[in-house]
Amino acid sequence: MLKKEQSDLITLTAPGTPGGRLFRSYWMPALLSSELPENDCPPVRVKLLSERLLAFRDSKGRLGLIDEFCAHRGVSLWFGRNEEGGLRCPYHGWKYDHTGQCVEVPSEPVESGFCNKIKLKSYPLIELGGVLWTYMGPAEKRPAEPGWEFAHVPPAHSFVSKRIQESNWLQAMEGGIDSSHVSFLHRGDLNSDPLFRGAKANQYNLKDSRPVFEVVESPGGLYIGARRNAENGSYYWRITPWVMPSFTMIAPRGNHPVHGHFWIPIDDENCWTWSFDYRPDRALTKEERQAMEDGKGIHVKYEPNTFRPLANKDNDYLIDRAGQKAGKTYSGVEGIAMQDASLQESMGPIVDRTKENLVSTDNGIIMARHRLVRATKALMDKDVVPPGVDTAHQTVRSAAIVLPPDQPFIEAAKEALTVRAGTSHASV
Amino acid sequence: MQSESTRATSAAEARFRIDAPNSRPRAIKVIALDPASEAIVKNLAQEKWAHATFLTTLSARPRGEPFSMSGWLADLAGHIKDLVDEIDNADLVVMIASAGENAEAATIIGEACSLKRVMTTALVVAPTTVSDAALARTLSTLRPWALMLVVANDEDYIADMLVALRA
Repeated sequence: MLKKEQSDLITLTAPGTPGGRLFRSYWMPALLSSELPENDCPPVRVKLLSERLLAFRDSKGRLGLIDEFCAHRGVSLWFGRNEEGGLRCPYHGWKYDHTGQCVEVPSEPVESGFCNKIKLKSYPLIELGGVLWTYMGPAEKRPAEPGWEFAHVPPAHSFVSKRIQESNWLQAMEGGIDSSHVSFLHRGDLNSDPLFRGAKANQYNLKDSRPVFEVVESPGGLYIGARRNAENGSYYWRITPWVMPSFTMIAPRGNHPVHGHFWIPIDDENCWTWSFDYRPDRALTKEERQAMEDGKGIHVKYEPNTFRPLANKDNDYLIDRAGQKAGKTYSGVEGIAMQDASLQESMGPIVDRTKENLVSTDNGIIMARHRLVRATKALMDKDVVPPGVDTAHQTVRSAAIVLPPDQPFIEAAKEALTVRAGTSHASV
Repeated sequence: MQSESTRATSAAEARFRIDAPNSRPRAIKVIALDPASEAIVKNLAQEKWAHATFLTTLSARPRGEPFSMSGWLADLAGHIKDLVDEIDNADLVVMIASAGENAEAATIIGEACSLKRVMTTALVVAPTTVSDAALARTLSTLRPWALMLVVANDEDYIADMLVALRA
């Protein structure tokens, strides 16, 4: 249970809200690099934190993320002409550069300097690891560039996708740190999905559906350890890092690539689910990359020319009751990503947390909320930089490891939970 | 025509969710395991709780006498409580420990909870100044007896956790 005022504090992220200010402390994934594939390509509409924006790559390759609407008469610049170092409104020819500065107003004498007085709101946009990242906070507090490991490996080592999720960001993110649902909701996929199957660890998951949890605060967020019985009295640990506000990395399985997510608010009732796979130590195989492109693992198939999943609420997620009954899937929905999203969207746009009945195994979720509320208040009251902004907080890894019963995961796996360039994750 | 899922998940449809209690109160016993934790629990008990009972393993323990199940657990006013009776009436037992302190009382509480099939959570308050070794000592005592183990940097978390669990 979470009081409504606390839930509002961290779920609502429009301009002027405390939650919005929290998100505006971080670099956030905004677009895939492939959405702006070349100089002077068509601009792309982007909505983030309840603001309508437009992204473009100008003639010199400079990236812009600016207010979507022309300052003159409010026309969407999505219709604009991206040419000669800027984006020109097709209505009356006003032209803007990548910073949102108006550089031409054809109807006014150049000498008047009128265009210098017109500037659209804009945010920095940088390219790293196949992702275009933006920072929407005050310029003087702009953090160092993102330090996430997946964004710094060679392009052949990683795959990144995004999909629209039709729910508030927090209920989506809370699903990502809820390790106990895997043994139920995803049990049909552990042995069949090409990006999960074959790992010895899957048997630990399937044999022990009552894991014991340890939640430990870290400088940037949390480590959530889920412990299951392994052979000879030893324990199989799956350790999930959560870094504020919305990064998680799933514990690896066998020799498969490692998966992770960000959840970024579009507005209060929709969010982007970003999903990445990578291997620090090798390129992804052709088969792995193909499986990701085919929507396997944590990725999805799309409606044509959109980032909306093919299985979505409008088609009841293509639910297959016969498959559910036969045990092919646990919920009747195919694919790990949409199994999660369908249930999280079923809660409604913003779940009413005053009605929930959490149990003690939900301490990971309770602690994450606690830290989000605490950081938001500290930011609002004392201007304290929130956890997760420091790039040192971002150099984390997930791990899967078998340990003797007397060894605490946080100590035994200390090295495994830290980025070591070029080495593989600790995996079972 | 809209799908069932599209209709059912709209904000408008949320207005028709049943507005009636969907759970009965859960009895939560919060037990301090060491002197520092007893101070924390005493502070917590000042707040208004509907279904939480606050206990300590210390005040009632006769100094220097061998361990006995009776006269070992007390409420914060010093009234002796019977561990088994308390656990019989509990849905959840939360043990509070401070990093570096002796948490051996968890062994007795945990064993009793295990016999009675009562869920246990152990919460260790570990300020960032506490050494890893001190924290590890406390954790190793608690680990066999806690089905959920939380290491929190500050005691504020305990109140938030109890609210979240409807204590």
